[in-house]
Amino acid sequence: MGGVGSYTELVPTLALNSRSYRSSVFPMPLNRGRYILKGRTGYRKVFAMNNGNSVLRASDVTRRRLLGSLLTAYTASLIPWALAQPVDDRDQGAFLAVSAIIAGRQALDAQLAKRLYDALIVDDMSFSSMARELLSLIDARKIEPLNLQKVLDAEKSPLAGIPRAVARAWFLGIVGSGVKARCIAYENALNATIVSDVLKPPTYAYGVYGSWTGKPV
Amino acid sequence: MPDLTAADFVIIGSGIIGSTVARKLAQAGASVLILEAGPRVTRAEIVARFRNSPRRSDWMSPYPPAPWAPHPIYQPQSNNYLVQAGPYPYEAEYVRQVGGTTWHWAAQAWRNVPNDFRIKSLYNVGADWPFGYDDLEPYYQEAEELMGVSGAPNTGSPRKKPFPMEPVAEPFAMRRIRERLASAYEVVTNTTARNSRTYDGRPACCGNNSCQPICPIDAQYHGGLAAYAAEAAGAKLIPDANVYRLDHDEQGRISAGLYYDPDKISHRVTGKTFIVAANGIESPRLLLLSASDKFPRGLANSSDMVGRNLMDHPSTSLTFDADEDLWLGRGPQSPSSIGLMRDGSFRAEHAPYRLDFTNISRVDSATSALIDQGVYGDEFARRLRYSAARELNVKNVLEILPDPNHRITLSDQKDAMGIPKPQTHYSIDDYTRRGHERSQQDFRRIAALLGGSNLRFSKEGSYANNQHICGTLSMGNDPKSSVCDQWARAHDHENLYLASTGVLPTCGTCNSTENGLAVAIRTVRHILSENKVGDAPAVPRAG
Amino acid sequence: MSFNLGAKRLLFWTVMLAAGVSSIVIASAAENPDPSLIEKGRYLATAGDCVACHTAPGGKPMAGGLAVATPIGPIISTNITPSKTDGIGNYSLEDFSAAVRHGIRRDGQGLYPAMPYTSYTKITEDDVAALYAYFMHGVPAVDYKPAQTELPFPSNIRFAMRVWNWLFLDARPYTNDPSQSAEWNRGAYLTLGLAHCGACHTPRNILMAEKTSQLLAGADLGAWFAPNITSDRNSGVGAWKIEDLINYMRDGRARGIAQAAGPMAEAVDNSLQHVKEADLRAIATFLKSVPARHDSTDPKPPFEWGAAGGDLSTIRGAPIPADRDQWTGPQLYNAYCATCHQAQGQGSFDGGLPPLFHNTTLGRAHTANLVMVILDGVRRSPDVSMPGFSDELTDRQVATLANYLMQQFGNPAGSVTVEEVKTSRAGGPSGMWMIWMAKMAVGIALLLLISIIFVLLRPPTALDTRSA
Repeated sequence: MGGVGSYTELVPTLALNSRSYRSSVFPMPLNRGRYILKGRTGYRKVFAMNNGNSVLRASDVTRRRLLGSLLTAYTASLIPWALAQPVDDRDQGAFLAVSAIIAGRQALDAQLAKRLYDALIVDDMSFSSMARELLSLIDARKIEPLNLQKVLDAEKSPLAGIPRAVARAWFLGIVGSGVKARCIAYENALNATIVSDVLKPPTYAYGVYGSWTGKPV
Repeated sequence: MPDLTAADFVIIGSGIIGSTVARKLAQAGASVLILEAGPRVTRAEIVARFRNSPRRSDWMSPYPPAPWAPHPIYQPQSNNYLVQAGPYPYEAEYVRQVGGTTWHWAAQAWRNVPNDFRIKSLYNVGADWPFGYDDLEPYYQEAEELMGVSGAPNTGSPRKKPFPMEPVAEPFAMRRIRERLASAYEVVTNTTARNSRTYDGRPACCGNNSCQPICPIDAQYHGGLAAYAAEAAGAKLIPDANVYRLDHDEQGRISAGLYYDPDKISHRVTGKTFIVAANGIESPRLLLLSASDKFPRGLANSSDMVGRNLMDHPSTSLTFDADEDLWLGRGPQSPSSIGLMRDGSFRAEHAPYRLDFTNISRVDSATSALIDQGVYGDEFARRLRYSAARELNVKNVLEILPDPNHRITLSDQKDAMGIPKPQTHYSIDDYTRRGHERSQQDFRRIAALLGGSNLRFSKEGSYANNQHICGTLSMGNDPKSSVCDQWARAHDHENLYLASTGVLPTCGTCNSTENGLAVAIRTVRHILSENKVGDAPAVPRAG
Repeated sequence: MSFNLGAKRLLFWTVMLAAGVSSIVIASAAENPDPSLIEKGRYLATAGDCVACHTAPGGKPMAGGLAVATPIGPIISTNITPSKTDGIGNYSLEDFSAAVRHGIRRDGQGLYPAMPYTSYTKITEDDVAALYAYFMHGVPAVDYKPAQTELPFPSNIRFAMRVWNWLFLDARPYTNDPSQSAEWNRGAYLTLGLAHCGACHTPRNILMAEKTSQLLAGADLGAWFAPNITSDRNSGVGAWKIEDLINYMRDGRARGIAQAAGPMAEAVDNSLQHVKEADLRAIATFLKSVPARHDSTDPKPPFEWGAAGGDLSTIRGAPIPADRDQWTGPQLYNAYCATCHQAQGQGSFDGGLPPLFHNTTLGRAHTANLVMVILDGVRRSPDVSMPGFSDELTDRQVATLANYLMQQFGNPAGSVTVEEVKTSRAGGPSGMWMIWMAKMAVGIALLLLISIIFVLLRPPTALDTRSA
């Protein structure tokens, strides 16, 4: 777990229920991803809520402010929790902002974000600049996440592929398509974590024999 | 020819059937050599590959073909190994590696229903088998005990002894389906080679929900286990041995098998008896590849029936949202079905079918659908949970009738080893199409009983394939219209047997593996009774 | 309960006298005993786990034939069914009692202490009578003669066992400690006697006798390790609740703490799961009072180590190496462990497939049991079955995996070398075994010498406790 820091605490998270899924909303002060939490949701990987013992380094502060500087009031309102997410540069910041908008009010795994970003820019050199353009577009036109793809498709925007690529990366853990497709995350892909209180990703045992006969809680 | 190997029995193919035949012959004291075209692969590697796969719904993705022994691959792009000659694509999937294709089956280990053996006599369609259900019953039982089959008694196939194991515990979703359909349909627990308790040293199912493409804990039986068992019984298995030709002597007896190793160096093995167990596509391909001056149409092919009568199970399906949370994906993948339409006088008019409920997690498919629809933001999680909880799918498993025009031939194209590729000619006939049409009534009724909404029928005219390759080595009493006799001995060659689902004359409405295995065990019984194997092996033991 | 040699000798004569007297008293035991006595005997025989050693794999219960591996070679268990030809059908109660409690066969030969008579000696006369009734009337006679135990010289001189007994057998039935509760006394009686916990959990001296000064302090058991179960909080079971201990003995597992595997799983299956809850509670109560033996390498209870975590995302998208020995810890974990223990080692929803953190097997710096579980798996009735991977994993893979597991989920002080895996795979520390052999040879030669002197100085009958 190089560079991730400690991840040994167990912290309760918001319970999810099957009727009305509410995402966990966490302030994001630090670049410390933690593996935590067993609430009713099972184990999920999210950002640490804070780290009271740490002293912020100047560079961290700068990096934290960077993302905020990329957002307008509108996009910031979409992803208030992500505002303080530290990022290495403006391109990665744009990717994170777009990721947060597309993924919804999910807490995002910083390590995974880095791996997805690295994979996405390998496939498409223009990805980062297009992600910035997309963020600007969302800012300028105050596009709702649910309308984003429709708008881009209707306008035959050259940016139309970006949300899909970001969505596939986060929700399925897959970057690229066709023969270039590769799996960057499986059990930590968001579609697995979103249902992790009820289902295990295929190949993972549900439980001891017969444990699946009861009504899912 | 760098080496020469000999055995009482040379078996081509190490799948569940070939390996089981090998095991039983070796146990009887014979020297047995198994030639497997593909490599050895471990379960752990397959599991690792699946989790690393960018195409998790493509169950072939954890089984990349060996360059020297390719098998058909369709995603992300076709490798064009199984050449499609139309009119309807037959995109068969199978695995060439030690243990064969049951590495990635759903362990559906069904018996036919008794009338499946006599559809020509009863309904004037298809063909009769050269023997009946009662003849096969003890071999079904033996197959079930070898594999470790669990099941319920109410599936229409009478039995003299109980199942080796109780039915696998019913997932909650299947219980609700059964309860809510009870007024119209009897939903039964499937007969599966899946453990409901520790069996033969393998654990009970833990609900990993990846029966296909791989059970990560060997709670279901597969050909890899059969191959280990054959080797433990003394059979010698040579992997990466791609048999491309069988030779014969002047009397028409098979005298040798020739195989390429991965470097395309040819090797020759001899044996007293040859058993081709290379599935319903590779087996006829090998017989056709072995054409000679004496047998210009290929071996075992005086009838011209080798490769013909290709059958499988086409399926159409309905996906809908139930009115309660059921959460498919807890427990095994394919636990329950409806057998009501497996048999009846209607078979004179249209295909019978089994109705099969999937319990495969909807998470990945729903995710892809939501991404396609551009559902982002908070709404994604809400919609994903809804679909994962509510979506159900029911499919039919349709019988297809033997038709000589549906066939495997040799293509003009060659594979990486320079061997002609297999080619298919296939279509969905009206009999099967009418079965599909009839099943739509059931689909609608089932959806209605489950409060279904958002009904999504599979695309009209599009039939999913179930990889139950049958008919291409058909058995029968008439050498003019069949490839082998009721013991699966080739009509044309005294020492050539066929052990494959290819020998099944008709395909019924259930998965072919147990039928093929039971027939092969019956074949072994016959071979042993004829040859008195073990008394005096004339050929020194191989290896 | 440590005695010097003089006390031993005094004890020896006392016991002989007592045995002589008691044999007269109990020789008139009823021919057709009360069924309830047989049932009591059945229960006690289960608690004593007689069947574990006295039944060969696939063999008839109590008919013997199991080869018990010991440092001095395989000791083959005997037929203890009431067969007159091959079993103990001709044993009187006093013969039976002498064998069970003093390790003396009917023919006067000494038993090897693989038979835990040094524990069974604590059994009360009433309980011995019940056991006798059960073995005579509740066990079907099986006419089957197991192979004879053939140990190499000098261990084959059974006479030496008499002297061994003289040195190490504290041949007194258990007497209650009036300062303790009835429950505690019951627990002590069972733990030290019938349940013979010390047979595995108490380290032995060079002559294979349990070191009474280190009661239940943990001992190697072939390739397995029978851990410290004294009351020490960090090294023993001091941090376990009474209920945890009961659950463990009855179910083979205590959630969030430990699971029984290997020989302990057999003890649970054959014996402890059938023991009444009150008796398990008594054993637990006693264990919690056993003098603590602390090992300074145990800074906290083993089940307090580790947390959910893991690196599976980091191996996604990269092919696994063709050379299996090059697989990394996360790759091995992914392929062999994660399926059941889950991506972050957290186990299944209901914990039925246990978490790997907060798990005693990974919480001890002593890693023998972790290696054995990876190699051999876990099997317990009715249907617990973790597969072993000895056929699938190389020694290096086991070492890589075990070290990853210890670092990720367990006590990071524990580590495993390829050599250790090789040793475990071969059935235990073979180097140790050779040392044992040498020590035993010397020790038994010494015993023989003492025996000869003893015989020369005393009447021959003096060693036969039965003939007094």
